[in-house]
Amino acid sequence: MQAVKVRLAIAYAALGVTALAVAMVTQDFPPLRDWAPFAVVAFLTVYHAVEVNDHLTASPAAMIFLATAVAFGAGHAALGAAAISAVSPVTKSDIAERRIALSVINWGQTVVAAVMAGFVLEPFFPDGAWSQRDFPLVAVGAMLASMVYHLVNWGLVSFAVRVVYRKREVRPWSRMGSILQSTVVMGFVGGLLGATYHLVPVALPLIFALFGVGYLAFSSLSELREAQEATLRGFIKALEAKDLYTRGHTERVAYFSQLIAERMNYRGTRLERVRWAALIHDVGKLAVPRDLIRKRGPLEDEEYLQLQTHAHVVEDLLAEVEFLRPMVEIASGHHSRFDGGGYGGTGHAHGTAPSQEARILAVADAFDAMTSTRSYRVALSQEFAFQELRSNAGTQFDPEVVEALVQSVVESGERYGSPNLGSEQDARYIAEGKAR
Amino acid sequence: MDRFRHLEPVVWAVTMLAIAFIGIGRSESSLVAVTTAGILIAAAALVTVPASSGNRFSLALAAATAVPLLIGPIFDFGGAVGAVAVGFLSGWVVLQLFGSAENLVTANSDFLRQSFGAFLFAAAYVVLAQAADVVVGAASANLVGAVGAALVWFGFETVAWALSTYDRVSRRYLIKLAVEDWPVAFSLFAVGALFAYVLPELGWWAPVVALLPYSFAHLAFYRSHSARITYSQTIRSLARIPEVAGLSPDGHSDRTAELAVAVATDLGLNPDEVRMVEYAARLHDIGRITLNELNIIKVGFTDDDIARWGAEIISEAPYLTEVAALVRQQHDPYRRPGERKDPDLPIPSKIIKAASAYDHATSELGFSALEALEVLHRGAAYDYDPDVVEGIRHIVMTR
Repeated sequence: MQAVKVRLAIAYAALGVTALAVAMVTQDFPPLRDWAPFAVVAFLTVYHAVEVNDHLTASPAAMIFLATAVAFGAGHAALGAAAISAVSPVTKSDIAERRIALSVINWGQTVVAAVMAGFVLEPFFPDGAWSQRDFPLVAVGAMLASMVYHLVNWGLVSFAVRVVYRKREVRPWSRMGSILQSTVVMGFVGGLLGATYHLVPVALPLIFALFGVGYLAFSSLSELREAQEATLRGFIKALEAKDLYTRGHTERVAYFSQLIAERMNYRGTRLERVRWAALIHDVGKLAVPRDLIRKRGPLEDEEYLQLQTHAHVVEDLLAEVEFLRPMVEIASGHHSRFDGGGYGGTGHAHGTAPSQEARILAVADAFDAMTSTRSYRVALSQEFAFQELRSNAGTQFDPEVVEALVQSVVESGERYGSPNLGSEQDARYIAEGKAR
Repeated sequence: MDRFRHLEPVVWAVTMLAIAFIGIGRSESSLVAVTTAGILIAAAALVTVPASSGNRFSLALAAATAVPLLIGPIFDFGGAVGAVAVGFLSGWVVLQLFGSAENLVTANSDFLRQSFGAFLFAAAYVVLAQAADVVVGAASANLVGAVGAALVWFGFETVAWALSTYDRVSRRYLIKLAVEDWPVAFSLFAVGALFAYVLPELGWWAPVVALLPYSFAHLAFYRSHSARITYSQTIRSLARIPEVAGLSPDGHSDRTAELAVAVATDLGLNPDEVRMVEYAARLHDIGRITLNELNIIKVGFTDDDIARWGAEIISEAPYLTEVAALVRQQHDPYRRPGERKDPDLPIPSKIIKAASAYDHATSELGFSALEALEVLHRGAAYDYDPDVVEGIRHIVMTR
């Protein structure tokens, strides 16, 4: 695979150099004092890409490139922007992971995309001096150029992925809607800011400063979000680690929930919500006397009642965290049955089906419970777990969710549980050290 | 003083009205221009942005920055001041009519403070820009005036906010906290200046061009504010796990944290350190979660075990390693008999030790505040740091 990567890197580099050469022949280089500040800003934004929200993780590189292309104006746009993308292809993580071939591939593709976008912009520039009447046309041009930039980039990336990993993207157009939306917005903003530079050059440092301050705040935000997740995970891990049998349970349930949700077309915030719900679904168990969790054999009525309260304790505990409230609702419903029975949280009316998110969590939880070893039995086989889920689909579990889990686990090629334990009975016997 | 509190808005409104009349009367700009600028400020006053200290800044500051730059640059002081007065007054009236009851009290004092800030800005701007005009020439006079005025305003705002907001928190700490708000203040001034610079050239495109980059910053401030709240709420919930499980007295972590934070600010710690104190104080008993294991109950445990288990749990979260270290040392004494005091023992740990002991005495043992202080005093210079004990005494006696 390394050889393929190197060959691809050479090809992309050649493409990039050709595009640069074409731009150099047809256009003049913008004055260096105009070019240099833009180049510095572009380099910094690409290097420190931050996560704006669940939909928009891309760095606003496209916006910067468009602003610079418009600012350089007729006869300079393509070359100026391409030269900037030529000096700013690396990101922090590229350097950290020493991805040289990938950086070169990236370089070639962004240079080509920038040159194309620059040429698309060219007809939209005014002939003589700039005035505010040119703004609408330039904004439209920048939106078009931004789309071209994105499409070229995307085409080259998916080609590279196909060649290197020999894998076709499953649904290349599924996220196109939201991406196109942000592309158009980026183009609009970039075009306006670039055009402003022609009329009021003083405005530019102020605009950059505003973006810079916003950037700082966003990067502290993503650090906080990471800290939030790392803290919850760390605590859950540490508390679980004290119990041999449930160690890693939360992480696995979160993983299965994510598999199912992705298959059921959950994206962005909704997907995050399911993952978070899975992470917190067993926090309440910490409040249950540990010896009960670990008890061998059937529970007495009173003990069972005590165990049931953990679904409610989760709510009391985490309801104070506003951000987690929707997740708490999902988590507290994960013991409810599909047909409306079972014990559930306070948000769950007896006799009605829980939310789809809670049904996903229920299946993921049950699958992991069956395929991992517990104090009262060893792990069951994956086939047995599938069979059990399917035979309870429609009553305890949502059939659609069960199928989503089975398909995605099978497709991923991973295997869980013991290789050959066919029944609950066998598993119990082995755990209790008796002969079959 | 408090008797006159309700008169504050009235005095303020009358003053504003007077300033508006005098300003417009002396203005060289047209009444339409001044009123338009005033309406701009009023509309902007309805948008606020949260800062890390808990202070909320109003977008009116951005609009008020733009006004002196826009109306007859440098020399029309009357017009600028008049517009600011009209703006804040009409914004305030809108708020009285449509605002909800509980935010009116804070809104009143915020309006008072921020409109004084805006006047200060206008005055400083005029003075500095005129001085700069003489010293460095007309080309950079605007810039010097704007930057200088922004600094004057920020200084006023930090001090005034710190003095007017909390009654029982150390002023020094509050000012440190307020200085951390500079990005928000800076972005408000930057967008105001940006708007003033682009408006003459861009016309109707000016608000669009100015608000696009600002809205990015605004979104960032807004979201990091809520993320910060979420994070501390999460810590608080996690800290309550042993309490919910009945392994630790109810409310102990909340009360200890409150006292520890008060002492930490009183002792002049930095905002970052105070945050560490808060988290560590909240989580100091998290190790008790282990106590529902039967064999531990049988074998027995010491306070040091709890500190160790707690630190182990907390150190699983990569961002809380400092807090884990503080929790680990929460029971280390200030000085063992016959030895010198331990210079490496962090102040936060000493604060938590004393605060937790105080709460244990008052809540569990049923001691009065004085009796509990007596317990701390008896242990001072051995178990507890005398400075911390003095800090607790100060907090408790002024409460």
